[in-house]
Amino acid sequence: MNKKFLIYLLTVLPFVIMLVAIPFVNRIHPIIFGLPFLSFWLFLGMIITPICTYIIYRLQKSEGSIE
Amino acid sequence: MQGNLTALLITSTIVLVVVLIGFLAGRDKSNRSSVEEWSVGGRRFGPLLIWLLIGADLYTAYTFLGLTSTAYSGGSLALFAIPYTIIAFFISFFFLPKLWKFSKDHKITTLADYAKIRFGSKFLSFLIAIVGVLMLIPYIDLQLAGIQDTLTVAGTGFINVKFVVIVSFFLVALYTFFSGIKGPTYTAIIKDILVWVIMLFLVASLPIMHFGSWGSMIDKLVVESPQLLTIPTTGPKGIPWFLTASLVSGLALFMWAHAATGVFTAKSADALRKNAIFLPLYNVVLILVIFLGFVAFHVLPEGSDPRFALLNLIQMSYGGVIQGLSFATIALASLIPCSIMAIGASNLFANNIYRDLINPKVTPAKLTMITRSMVFVVIGLALVFGMVFPSALVSLQLLGVSGMVQIFPAIVFSLYWKNQTKEATIIGLIVGLIVTFTVYATGTTFGIYEGFWGLLANVVVTVALNPFFVKNIKNKANPIIDQLFAKQQQRKIMATKKGA
Repeated sequence: MNKKFLIYLLTVLPFVIMLVAIPFVNRIHPIIFGLPFLSFWLFLGMIITPICTYIIYRLQKSEGSIE
Repeated sequence: MQGNLTALLITSTIVLVVVLIGFLAGRDKSNRSSVEEWSVGGRRFGPLLIWLLIGADLYTAYTFLGLTSTAYSGGSLALFAIPYTIIAFFISFFFLPKLWKFSKDHKITTLADYAKIRFGSKFLSFLIAIVGVLMLIPYIDLQLAGIQDTLTVAGTGFINVKFVVIVSFFLVALYTFFSGIKGPTYTAIIKDILVWVIMLFLVASLPIMHFGSWGSMIDKLVVESPQLLTIPTTGPKGIPWFLTASLVSGLALFMWAHAATGVFTAKSADALRKNAIFLPLYNVVLILVIFLGFVAFHVLPEGSDPRFALLNLIQMSYGGVIQGLSFATIALASLIPCSIMAIGASNLFANNIYRDLINPKVTPAKLTMITRSMVFVVIGLALVFGMVFPSALVSLQLLGVSGMVQIFPAIVFSLYWKNQTKEATIIGLIVGLIVTFTVYATGTTFGIYEGFWGLLANVVVTVALNPFFVKNIKNKANPIIDQLFAKQQQRKIMATKKGA
């Protein structure tokens, strides 16, 4: 896959998880790891976003667009 | 209810030790030799120190007390703090390094400085400084209320709470004057360790004490108070509010003068990128603290004051030692951010209001002294407002985020939009503020966060008016803008070459 496209995708993903998806995950069940689903989802986003950031960071470094 | 003497002694000891460290942090005289040293530590902080400093900035007493009280009374609306901070940290990865580089090249210490140089407009810089100071003083007052509430719970019957609050704020102002940004940075280390240890301990032990285990707490919440566990779909604040509040607060976060001060201490753009990757770790604490609000909902007697939810929960659940450690944590979470906020506000006032408008010929040494002395004025004003007009402040506090976000187009759009003009930006900013205040005053929010309407108007006006002014800057050589956009142009040229 094209690097630019991947960066673009990873930039959009956190907004999708944290904002666009909220109306669809606003529920209690299933309860996962002792967290009601909405809290679990936000917890998941909290883990995924830094991973996206890290991958973008590596990609940009390898592209040489940041020093 | 009378406080607990052990708790009070532990709280006071920890706070005094931390104040002492605040002074020791600045015993080297070079810390106060220039505005750049005093306010942004000579831009020498690596990723770990910035992480601690920005964490100390953002996770304040108000965060802990405010979130638990929102969770107690409004349920899952409190969870908006998670998308809000995650979005703020994520977008910071993209624009903070650019902003930092500009700030280093031009030796600036405030966002208003940035606007002044980027747009060549002292008026825009003045507007940004005014908004920054005006919104920050009520924010300092939130911290003031935080420590006041904590001391009220800890010390009723033993001390004069108001007197102790004034003394502790005076001590903080004094060590900030003395040590500059080094003070809050080093004390933040202690505060952060306490926050992590105490909050995790509370989250682990309170469900066991009151419900038997985390699992049975969740079971009870699901059966008896399911309304707490999802965002309301009806009522004045529902999902549209949740989403717009998250987005707008996220955009606003690094517009705050105290957050910007933290950013400018970085020693490299890369330190800020790493920081953006690791800042979300702090949120583990946030999400758990929100659950403490749900615990309070089931444990505290009905009709308790939501403002005291967390404090009362701690008071009724633990003995003196744990109470003392917890109260000390909240007290520090109130005092240390105040110190950084005072530095941010003093900087704006001294650089962008005093130097730019009143006395442009001020010598660097005198400017440094004025910036440092402003700490007393800022904290003094916060004390006076907080104690004399507590009710007038409520509106400003509610509007703080909505007001701050209005400078986003001036600060962040302008890093990417070469032809953005000062005229359109100024009009957009003013319209944004007017719309925000009007929506707030008339209550016609349509279930959407006030600042969102303001920002929308602001962006529409800026974009629509820009073409009318763009001829003033087009085809005119401007070394500052050329430098800011140099890399982009280079890349464009390279890309076209590759394409050909």
